[in-house]
Amino acid sequence: MTVGHYLKEFHGLPVFHFPDTDTPVELPDAAAVAWRISSPTYCESDDEQWEVLFERFLKSVDAGRVRALVVGGWDEAYETSSAGIVTALMAANNRLTDLEAVFLGDMTGEDCEISWIVQSDVTPLLAAYPRLREFGVRGGTGLVFPPVRHTGLETLVVETGGLPAAVVRGIAGSELPALENLELWLGTDEYGGDSTADDLAPLLSGSGFPALRSLGLCNSAIQDAVAEAVAGAPVVARIERLDLSMGVLTDEGAAALLDGQPLTHLGLLDLSHHYLSEAMRKRVLDALAPYGVVVDLGDAQEADDEGDGRVWRYVAVAE
Amino acid sequence: MTAGPRLVVVGDPAGRRVAFFQDALRTAGLPGARVVSWPEVLRGRARFAAGETVRLDSPGEDMEADRLLRGIDDPTRVEGTGLWYERFLAAVSGLARSVTGAGAVLVDDPAELAALFDKRLSHGLLRAAGVPVPESPTSGPSAPALRGWEELRSSTARAGLRRVFVKLAHGSSASGVLALESNGAGRVQATTSVERGPDGRLFNSLRVRRYTSEREVAAIVDTLAPDGLHVERWLPKAVQDGRAADLRVVVIDGRATHAVLRTSRSPMTNLHLGGARGDLEAARAAITAAGGRWTDALEVCERAASAFPGTRCVGVDLLPATGWRRFAVGEVNAFGDLLPGLTGLPGSSAEGLDTYAAQVAAQFQDSRTPGTTTPAAHITPTAHITRTTTVTRTAHTTSTARTTGTSTT
Repeated sequence: MTVGHYLKEFHGLPVFHFPDTDTPVELPDAAAVAWRISSPTYCESDDEQWEVLFERFLKSVDAGRVRALVVGGWDEAYETSSAGIVTALMAANNRLTDLEAVFLGDMTGEDCEISWIVQSDVTPLLAAYPRLREFGVRGGTGLVFPPVRHTGLETLVVETGGLPAAVVRGIAGSELPALENLELWLGTDEYGGDSTADDLAPLLSGSGFPALRSLGLCNSAIQDAVAEAVAGAPVVARIERLDLSMGVLTDEGAAALLDGQPLTHLGLLDLSHHYLSEAMRKRVLDALAPYGVVVDLGDAQEADDEGDGRVWRYVAVAE
Repeated sequence: MTAGPRLVVVGDPAGRRVAFFQDALRTAGLPGARVVSWPEVLRGRARFAAGETVRLDSPGEDMEADRLLRGIDDPTRVEGTGLWYERFLAAVSGLARSVTGAGAVLVDDPAELAALFDKRLSHGLLRAAGVPVPESPTSGPSAPALRGWEELRSSTARAGLRRVFVKLAHGSSASGVLALESNGAGRVQATTSVERGPDGRLFNSLRVRRYTSEREVAAIVDTLAPDGLHVERWLPKAVQDGRAADLRVVVIDGRATHAVLRTSRSPMTNLHLGGARGDLEAARAAITAAGGRWTDALEVCERAASAFPGTRCVGVDLLPATGWRRFAVGEVNAFGDLLPGLTGLPGSSAEGLDTYAAQVAAQFQDSRTPGTTTPAAHITPTAHITRTTTVTRTAHTTSTARTTGTSTT
């Protein structure tokens, strides 16, 4: 499966596509929307390159009131990294003085498949915007995230078909005292997701991220191992939402989760896109629903049986 | 007023296309057409008579015709379209001679089938006509043939094309189509319904799969190449409800009459590969919201059809680019009218009529006063058609147009 939707809402604001030069569309109030700045992943000679488009955007709106930006596509995103875009965004920090949220790489699979998006070191962006509260990025290829310290960031989302272990370690080793929501799409090793449950250890120990309330470790080919690691993780005791969706979660992982520490304090346990048996689904519900935990067991998957003894299970988003 | 023509349709006597066409004739109160099968044509046994008007329909549903044309027994095999093209054109050419010799006429100009069934020639004609088409290194008659993976790779690299569709020059129904991606780092991936057997033979499967090793992709391309390859840039398509979308627009006598939105989770929108009809109204709204005009989109299709002025009905594949602001033409299909139950665009001459009824209406309107827009159902049959066809059917005299909503097969 690939990503099929653009963000409709970001940072609590409706996403508004900043139009072409020749499209007569009235612009909304700068603070009322999340601005989607996107150029085609193939640019014809008469198309605006992303940086040019961004400059026109800054001049067209009251830049000082812009709260949220969604970077969509850029020319040949499967070939050219996001480094130029990161630089352009950094250079605009004296104009985007109210910017609270950035998403980098809102492309569908048609535009550029998630594992083909070439990212870059995105942490200079965090340094350039100390008031940033929300940051999201799509694509693990080329993604670099050395440990950072950022006192304002509340939400960090990293969507990939394969998240490099170095990025997992960088994030886990970061100092993010305000971080409430963390969502990592771990992906598969086929697409560069070479992290193991061990790489998550610093994160799960609960020593960092004192404000964390919502943790997503999603879309993992090793979702069972992740679930097992989470089952005994100290961090779980102080979060409200646990998201282990989109991955290859089987009865083994779910059993480990239930046999671990109590989860009855959770408000939400998201296990959607799973490979759980009917019996295991019932067991999960029986254990948690009476305590008011909302358990999402939607989008049940069937393993592909090739008939030759090989069985295939897939994460929700790879490629 | 002279008697109307007697109709002959060359197609699969047991197939849906012929059934729908006969239904349309019957609904219009016209006698049914005489049916000649493609195997009869291919074996030189088809005969025509003076005064007959001959419509050619697809040989695609007829297994025997497919076997005779491709020289391969297994209809699921991908190979053989080069031979198919050669034999199909030869058969059409022979058929045209015998039709003319008998004093009968063809509905369409058979010479245009050579380009309509060669995506490279077709692309060249569209480009020359100023129709927006995806960039292609194989466009037109003078482009060098791609003889295999190495040539494909160097040709696309020269053109700076990292994401392309590789198509069989004479393929149809997504057979042999690869959505191919590569990057400067040497990564290669093909998304396709082609299944490579253990012995290297290629099969059309109903499942879209991915090949991620260059060795495998190269082996597939090398096997496809002898049949002729057309390559064009993969334009990222607009999405609707999380699915990539394109449009099939039927153009009859130069006017866009029918449109259907096709959506898919894979780069191929064909129905047999998991494609589904999407919400056309929502697509029109998306085009308008993006500052575009629906009529401009239809105009692109009409311009594409005008590159084939001797073919009265074509199905144009229109690709809306990401954001619904731009369009390009993917293909023009000679037999692109199999859209069961789809009625014409509101305000068009085909409103309320399916694609077959609309063609019947257009064809028989000609034999009446030119320029009037008489609905097909109001055409009275007896004044125009002599009742000497070998297939006779009871004429319906309903006053409203009926559409063929379900398959009769």
